Amino acid sequence: MLPLALAGGAVLVVAAILLSQRTAESAPAQPIAFSHRTHAEAEIQCLFCHPNALRSDVAGMPSVERCAGCHRTIATTRRRIQTVLGYWERGEPIPWQPINKMADFVFFSHQPHLAAGVSCETCHGDVGKMNAARQVVNMDMGWCLNCHLKQPETAVARLTDCLACHK
Amino acid sequence: MAHRVSRRGFLKIAAGASVVAGLSPTVRRVALEPFVRPPEEELPGRATWYASTCRQCPAGCGVIVRVINGRARKIEGNPSHPLNRGKLCARGQAGLQVLYNPDRLQNAVRQTGGRGSRRFEPVQWAEATDQLASALKGVGGKARVGFLGGSVPTHLRLLVTRFLEALGSPGPVLFDLHSVLEGGAEAHALADRWFGSADKPIYDIGHAEVIFSFGANFLETWLSPVSQSYEYGTMRQGQSGGRGFLVQFEPRLSMTAASADQWIPVPPGTEGLVALGLGRIIVEENLGRVGSHREHAQLYRDVSVGAVAEASGLSVDRLQKLARAFADADRSVALPGGYLSGFTNASQSMDAVMALNVIMRRLGREGGVFLPHTIPAEAFINPDLPSPFRDFEKLIQKMRDGQVDVLMVHGANPVYELPRWAGFADALTNVPLVVSFSPFINETAAQADLILPDHTYLEGWGFEVCSPGGDRPVVSSQQPAVRPLYDTRSTADVLLKLASSLGGAVSQALPWPDEVAYLEEASAQLLGSSIGVFDARTPAGFWSRWRQLGGWWSTKPIRQEPVARGLPQGPLQVPAASFAGQPNLFPFTLLPYESIALSDGRGADQHWLQETPDPMTTACWNTWVELNPATAAQLGVTDDDIVRVVSTHNALEAPVVVFPGIRPDVVAIPTGQGHQDYGRFAAGRGSNVMDLIAPVVEREAAVLAWGGTRVRVEAVHRSTKLARLESLDGKGRETLR
Repeated sequence: MLPLALAGGAVLVVAAILLSQRTAESAPAQPIAFSHRTHAEAEIQCLFCHPNALRSDVAGMPSVERCAGCHRTIATTRRRIQTVLGYWERGEPIPWQPINKMADFVFFSHQPHLAAGVSCETCHGDVGKMNAARQVVNMDMGWCLNCHLKQPETAVARLTDCLACHK
Repeated sequence: MAHRVSRRGFLKIAAGASVVAGLSPTVRRVALEPFVRPPEEELPGRATWYASTCRQCPAGCGVIVRVINGRARKIEGNPSHPLNRGKLCARGQAGLQVLYNPDRLQNAVRQTGGRGSRRFEPVQWAEATDQLASALKGVGGKARVGFLGGSVPTHLRLLVTRFLEALGSPGPVLFDLHSVLEGGAEAHALADRWFGSADKPIYDIGHAEVIFSFGANFLETWLSPVSQSYEYGTMRQGQSGGRGFLVQFEPRLSMTAASADQWIPVPPGTEGLVALGLGRIIVEENLGRVGSHREHAQLYRDVSVGAVAEASGLSVDRLQKLARAFADADRSVALPGGYLSGFTNASQSMDAVMALNVIMRRLGREGGVFLPHTIPAEAFINPDLPSPFRDFEKLIQKMRDGQVDVLMVHGANPVYELPRWAGFADALTNVPLVVSFSPFINETAAQADLILPDHTYLEGWGFEVCSPGGDRPVVSSQQPAVRPLYDTRSTADVLLKLASSLGGAVSQALPWPDEVAYLEEASAQLLGSSIGVFDARTPAGFWSRWRQLGGWWSTKPIRQEPVARGLPQGPLQVPAASFAGQPNLFPFTLLPYESIALSDGRGADQHWLQETPDPMTTACWNTWVELNPATAAQLGVTDDDIVRVVSTHNALEAPVVVFPGIRPDVVAIPTGQGHQDYGRFAAGRGSNVMDLIAPVVEREAAVLAWGGTRVRVEAVHRSTKLARLESLDGKGRETLR
């Protein structure tokens, strides 16, 4: 009986781990089917909507005001745009689902990465070609270190210090 | 062959699976909600700090609030603020739970099922204010409007006073239990009697060498505890030469008493008498280095040290030693604390304590007694007068006689705070319209027809003229750290709106379009003051500094020297306090003491404060009865046994805490619990000690003698587990007794 229990447990372990890992292809359902591709094809820069990546830890989501700023005049007849304008008129935030999540014991900041010239696509993939944004890399520690170790020799010691990311 | 899984096997698998499920990393999906309109200074992921004022008690400490993405995350003390100097107490820290309280009212409501039905339906703000405006227009005679306030912020108090004055109504009645327990009205009366001052005296604890505290819990709830704790530290660290010496006179070992060098538990109500005896010895033996005491001799003519020794249980020798310790110090000060105000001899006791400061020439001297310097602008002249019980009784009488048509209540909760015999709840039934401005449904709001919820203090504007302000004049400013979470409205704005719709004299008296315009104008009056810590070229610049720094204060300490109006004519006397209940039937004196966490009950809706253990007994989340070990043994009860405490007027049941730090003839119960309403964390928890209080009122000054109730204690032979931080496993440490 014990082997059976162990086997059952093992199956459940695997299932639980698989379920808990976000696969790279997953794209969570969003309140509005927002297309990054449409916006990128219109040559809107990433930083137009996510300007805080330059200045802060988080890139941030564009305010509803920013969406409405353009869409009060652009494509106003489309159903999705009307949904956006509905949020704006009601004064409600749009409850976007996060795509890339970093564990809360990592003190990640966008600002130094952009300052070092890392492009958005390096970590987020070619979002400009995606309709629904999805995670393309598993942001685990090995992946972080892969890049940190490739930096100039003078910076490696600092970039691989535990306290660089775990304060 | 089918393999049958036995029940035991199934349970093993299930247990294994649930352990594994528990170990697996949790997937949390939290929506990212962007701002609808981002504030200009807000940067996602970066904290913005806003300076404001704490409103958890009337002290008015400065706070800074950490705000991330428009949400308040943490409250700290404002390091620039001269009152609390960056420190903040547990109640101040818990202020976030006022903001985020799940039981807050989210809009204006009308009680539809009759008062006390607790059936509320939302009402539009315009409709609600119109109803109040037309009720105010329709009152038969302007004197028929009443305003009852508790800890009302200064700016609102000033606006309300103007509003009522223009309406031709009597001024607001300010009455709440915290102020009663700290003896607010009595402290003002004391300052008036001795110095002709409308402001409370301030005591320079930081520079004193010897402090005799007569029932002043200055490290817990009395006046401005954070500021006084800081000063206490200064006093102990001997910055003014030598480590200070503190003696505490009160029947229970409070946290302040536990911090003292000597705790002297004299019988309740005899503290003033002890002060009188000490004064007599000082004068008789011509103690101290202050010259002759000849002129003071008449004050103590009728005092017999022997009689004081007998009444207080202290030997003559001990009294003499204490008198010498007080008189021989260069900087000694005697504090007339809130506990003295709980007896029928309140004013005489406080006089006897103040007389010690006067005979030792401690007025206006470092480490002595001062009066606050006024704020040098008309807008801040602060009638900070908690109303004496007499005024509150008059209001109740008027309500009972049907002479009040509209009653407005802000920040007061007398239905909970006062015993039923005070008659407030009954008198309320004779008032046609009761309007509450409470953000929560508390016991008094539950008896209102309309509730027009004010913002909580992290969402609202205002200022507080700090009284006491430590060593200098201080106005602490308040500004929103976050946008209002719900459809609530500032009471000041409601009043201004009412004023403009009433027109005439009222709208002339309150000409401002909104609260912020009023505050800007008021702050501008300090522009160009020569003593201020900052100045600006323009009112707009001043207003921005005012908000940035968290208020205005003087650069240097400035206090006033109190000038005694002349010594009291005739000898000082402290009559014996009267108590309700025959000593043979009710052998114990009840000591209702203010909870350091829940205060007078206003903190009971915040579970961080419910969880905060009482510093002496480590109990929390409930009401308890503190008994001396000898008393407990005599009654045959021990920790966690439930007892019934019976006064002449009421009874309550609560578990026992056996506490060596209490006189055997005194039973102490903390305030703050026993709410019927006030949200999920407060309602239905513990008992309200104020229900036990008997109507002992000192007739002449109409002081509610809340300490003058005698009780008996009966074992009920049941027990419960009281939540305590301290383990009771170490019982048997008899050395503690």
